[in-house]
Amino acid sequence: MRNNIIKHMGKNLWFYLLVLVTVCIVGFPLIWMVLSSLKPSVELFKMPPKILPKQPTLIWYQNTFKDSVVVRYFLNSFVVSSSTMIIDMIIATLGAYSLARFTYRGRRLIMMAILSSYCLPPIMLMIPLYRILAALGLNSSYMGVIIGHTTFTLPFSVWLLIPFFQKIPKEMEEAAIMDGAPSFKIFSTIILPLCIPGILSTGIMVFILSWNEYLLSSVLIISDTMKTLTVGLANYISSTEIDWGAIMALGTSTTIPIVLMFSAIQKHFVEGLTAGAVKG
Amino acid sequence: MSNMSLTGKKRDYDTQRQLLGIIFIIPSVIFLLVFVVYPVCYNIILSFTDARLMKSDFSFIAFDNYKKLFQNIRFLKYVKNTLIWTVFSVVGQLALGLAIALLINKRANVTGLRSFLLVPYVVPAVALALVTKWVTNGDYGIVSWWLNWIGLLEYRQSPLAVPGSAMAVLIIVNIWRSYPFPMLIYWATLKGISHEIYDAASVDGCSAFQMFWHITLPHLKSTTTVLAILRIVWTATYFDLIWLITGGGPAGSTTHLPIMIYQTSFGTFQTGYASSISVILGLSLFVCIVFYVRKTISNDR
Repeated sequence: MRNNIIKHMGKNLWFYLLVLVTVCIVGFPLIWMVLSSLKPSVELFKMPPKILPKQPTLIWYQNTFKDSVVVRYFLNSFVVSSSTMIIDMIIATLGAYSLARFTYRGRRLIMMAILSSYCLPPIMLMIPLYRILAALGLNSSYMGVIIGHTTFTLPFSVWLLIPFFQKIPKEMEEAAIMDGAPSFKIFSTIILPLCIPGILSTGIMVFILSWNEYLLSSVLIISDTMKTLTVGLANYISSTEIDWGAIMALGTSTTIPIVLMFSAIQKHFVEGLTAGAVKG
Repeated sequence: MSNMSLTGKKRDYDTQRQLLGIIFIIPSVIFLLVFVVYPVCYNIILSFTDARLMKSDFSFIAFDNYKKLFQNIRFLKYVKNTLIWTVFSVVGQLALGLAIALLINKRANVTGLRSFLLVPYVVPAVALALVTKWVTNGDYGIVSWWLNWIGLLEYRQSPLAVPGSAMAVLIIVNIWRSYPFPMLIYWATLKGISHEIYDAASVDGCSAFQMFWHITLPHLKSTTTVLAILRIVWTATYFDLIWLITGGGPAGSTTHLPIMIYQTSFGTFQTGYASSISVILGLSLFVCIVFYVRKTISNDR
């Protein structure tokens, strides 16, 4: 009996030790970013580095947000990400419902096309999209980059939404079908309300992907004033005079909202992903 | 009579429903045709031309771009870099994902921990790149300082300035960024293995290791295949992290094919030539994509 308890405790100890190590490694870059953003210059450039800031300061945040360009970057990213999210969710909700509930010729082919596009990385589309959008005159407006972001978020969200529609019991529709209710009404009054959590969480995931995207944003936006946050931030790294405190503050401000949004929808997202994305 | 019109009505209704299903898929299909399928085809066409970045007209030059590419000695080096980057990143993230999934699998109340461990999945690559550059800074980076302290790095040097270690840093950072997805999928798969098998094995006196080897691993095989293929495609074509941390340097030692494509099209403006590189990269991953799509569709629906 006593032996068992000791063995149990030993096992638990290992578990907690491993968890602790994992948490430290996973947390390190983010925690270090936040801590660095709170240190005054003297502490940032002190060797050997101290972990905690002795005299925490918000000066870097104040400096960063005083700059109107930075505020503009935030605004641009917000416009691009929310537009991508809205356009994407309208198209993807309709598409996912169709694929989940109807059978027609070509359905399988469309599924394959969507799944293949899901695998298709932005680098493959960069050159042709750049040319096509330039020819259409869309590279000087938000629309170009919104289209760019939709190319990889649309297949992702259709795929993620399908299981949410499949989960709704068929019986819920069948009664209405028996009554001969108009099909669109069945969709809008019965199906759609039940899928709101799935649609919301997928939408937020699309927002996050769009917010984080760098390659297409950097290529498809020509105008300086329309650059998104990731592109603006990246320009900071390549500039010769690097202001680490300000960069860490900006990095933190870019990351925190995203992490918070993700934490809010994480449960639904995990549900959708494990149901749909990879089933071995 | 009344019966017949009823079936007629039913048929009308069914047609109307069917129509709705087709109307609903049309926006997705049109978008994908215009902005994904057409660009992919256009990319292939461009690879046979002398297109330049800022010029809209071009003429066909048959296989000249491809010939030029295969005669380029740097191409082989970049292919090698792509392979190193991809293999180590994918193996690393799958191994770490599985290890963490196994660690938290058997515990209750791990939801909070799991949420925390998923965070790297959504951290913007740019922010991660900035932190990486900061901690590996030669003068003030904490990681550089640690590495120097344990004797792995010269004083006041950055691991990003040395060819071999630059690639190693990139791979480690990439593993950090991408293990959550495999972790989640492995975790879901582990949840799906029935307890009875383990109970039976336990009664038969199997050790924990034997159970892992003979029960858990075989159950994970097909998940691993699908995961590995998906991650190979995404890793081999992943641009942001390397570009933002090293830009392909020092001395091209971390340049992989996506960076070569970018530099060729936006650095030296040879759009046609760059397209031919992306066609080659796409073709070599095509097999993976086909395999993934077929396997997922046949398994799932």
